[in-house]
Amino acid sequence: MSLLVGNGLTHWFGHELALDGVDLVLDTGEHMAVLGDNGAGKTTLLRILATALRPTAGQLQIAGLDAFREKRRLRHHLGYVAHAPGLYPALSAVENLEFFGDLQEVSRTRVEEVLEVVGLTPVAHRRADRLSRGMQQRLAIGRAILHEPRLLVLDEPDASLGEAAADLLTRVMEGKTVILATHDHALANRLCPRTLELRHGRSLGTATRLRVVR
Amino acid sequence: MNPVRVALAVARKDLRSEWRTREMVPALAQFIILALLIGNFGFQIDARNAASIAPGILWLALVFAGLVAFGRTFAAEREQASLEAMLMTPASPVAIFAGKALAATLLLVVCEVVLLPALTLFFGTPLSAEVVAAVLLATVGMAALGVLFAAIVARVRARELLLPLLTLPLWIPFIIAGGQAVQSAMGLPGNYQEAIGLLLDFDILFLVLTSLAARFVLDE
Repeated sequence: MSLLVGNGLTHWFGHELALDGVDLVLDTGEHMAVLGDNGAGKTTLLRILATALRPTAGQLQIAGLDAFREKRRLRHHLGYVAHAPGLYPALSAVENLEFFGDLQEVSRTRVEEVLEVVGLTPVAHRRADRLSRGMQQRLAIGRAILHEPRLLVLDEPDASLGEAAADLLTRVMEGKTVILATHDHALANRLCPRTLELRHGRSLGTATRLRVVR
Repeated sequence: MNPVRVALAVARKDLRSEWRTREMVPALAQFIILALLIGNFGFQIDARNAASIAPGILWLALVFAGLVAFGRTFAAEREQASLEAMLMTPASPVAIFAGKALAATLLLVVCEVVLLPALTLFFGTPLSAEVVAAVLLATVGMAALGVLFAAIVARVRARELLLPLLTLPLWIPFIIAGGQAVQSAMGLPGNYQEAIGLLLDFDILFLVLTSLAARFVLDE
């Protein structure tokens, strides 16, 4: 069953075409990677799929609902990791998660669980601006999964994570429908059976990884 | 999602951040003292004219401190890209706005704790409950408007210029009514009750209008 259906997603920034009629279907539980060079339109597409940006044209349905008319309802089911971590620098890691937990009626126990999942329990009380860039990225990923969303939209989640990226993302993505943008083709192939290639805002089509079974 | 809980969480987060960084309150308190000092040396203050000059200085200091305080409420969120993260939650934008406005109001009230006794010290005017009530009532409405416009201009580059241009004209009713209330509380002719009634009316009007507008400003 399709969880996300995008038709003709197009976005203009002023006179510049950032995304040109991208069609996309994502089934429940499916993992898809979006690949492409800088400026290919990956972030624009992911911001639209996360309902953070309204497309100039095209339709987007998530869980059978119009993604922009019902976006506040949908956000219960949607987790988004943006390009920038978007954390509160003066608050500790645990305070950042507790704050976002309060906005989503998430229990303190769940906050502790998430800190454990993203490997930040030892630095839970360290201020966000004193965490390394990789730890901040882990915290941003933790915030995205805090409310146990069905759909995860991850914009370069591997940034600054180094070698730990694949293991962490495998844990985080388990049992969820995921679309992620990355420059790392090897990581994309490891985590996602399907890839979507973008160039100059246009989809070059999707590919499915073949698994050889002996 | 309980909107009161959301608003309190947002206000608590803003106040905790300010407590840890001490970015705004010490600077604003210093600004207020400097404004009063300039007023004190710039005018020939004596017992006869202090009550007519002090309210003007009070509102000038409060207006400019307010512009700085409210301007930072959304600018900091934009700079650290946390506003989008907050708006991506299912929490109501109106509740988020209310929390930001509550925190900004409380920060300005902290500045007023410095401002009002300092005014008495520099100008010898009485610090009465009537003066405090007038200033607090004006702060509520000014904060609602200031935070709304801060949210609007946070998206643009020239926000420091645009915020006073948009906010000051709508603050004029508060300055007029608040000025009358403070003057009459300091012993000058004027109807204190009428001025306080007007401040209350403006507070209700602008709290309702800004709450309605906040949904559209923060939702897109």
